[in-house]
Amino acid sequence: MKQIYIVSGLPRSGTSMLMQILDAGGLPVASDAKRKPDRSNPKGYLEVESIIDKLRDNPDYVFNFEDRVLKVIAYGLQSLPPGNYKLIYVDRNIEEILDSMKEMMRAKDEEREDTKKAFIKLNNKTKADIKVREDMQVLFVNYNEILSSPKKHLEEIHCFLEERNLDLEKMIEVVDEKLYRQRRER
Amino acid sequence: MEKEFTDVSIPTSLYKKIEQKIKGSGITSVSSYVAKVLRESLLKEEETQEALTKEDEEKVKKRLKALGYID
Repeated sequence: MKQIYIVSGLPRSGTSMLMQILDAGGLPVASDAKRKPDRSNPKGYLEVESIIDKLRDNPDYVFNFEDRVLKVIAYGLQSLPPGNYKLIYVDRNIEEILDSMKEMMRAKDEEREDTKKAFIKLNNKTKADIKVREDMQVLFVNYNEILSSPKKHLEEIHCFLEERNLDLEKMIEVVDEKLYRQRRER
Repeated sequence: MEKEFTDVSIPTSLYKKIEQKIKGSGITSVSSYVAKVLRESLLKEEETQEALTKEDEEKVKKRLKALGYID
């Protein structure tokens, strides 16, 4: 069974940036380019439209993406059938995630605290679930740490995907401090 | 400005054991290994927190819809 590479994390946790990094490094990306770059993701989303719904309706859909990297945000991972996965899971400061969601929705977030609690629980549950899956090798990375020290953390990713012999220098070039608009003191 | 990295002391004998353990593993230094183990340990603590309820899941789905991730 061929390997399928997955990038995951909560929405707005830096999954698109990670896809861009892997794309630049030379890993083929699964993207239908239907979602165009916008203010929230000026460099593009690099994703397959409605992938969560598609996997929920037909989990085997994932096998269309063998040998490529597919973005599946945390909530969708529960639909992945047994396979051969290498998964990079991105964490980010939860307040930054909520700020970024609010900006993307362009609406007032009336239920911020409740939403925060729900997403923290989802994040914890997802990480616990993927750690015990025997068909999945997992690397946990942190968006904030990648931005503050790209070389060190992208070397970890490069090493995790060593069989792909990615171009580390090109991966590092992608990390663009300008995207880091919502830095908060942690 | 806060330093990005700081030193933590561990016994030299433990350091040497880790050095042996990581040889050929792809982990590039003892510091990386120690940071990895500590991160995993912290994650484990987080995981013992509250479970995701149906109500939480509805909140998550509502937000994912608003963001365009699900239909």
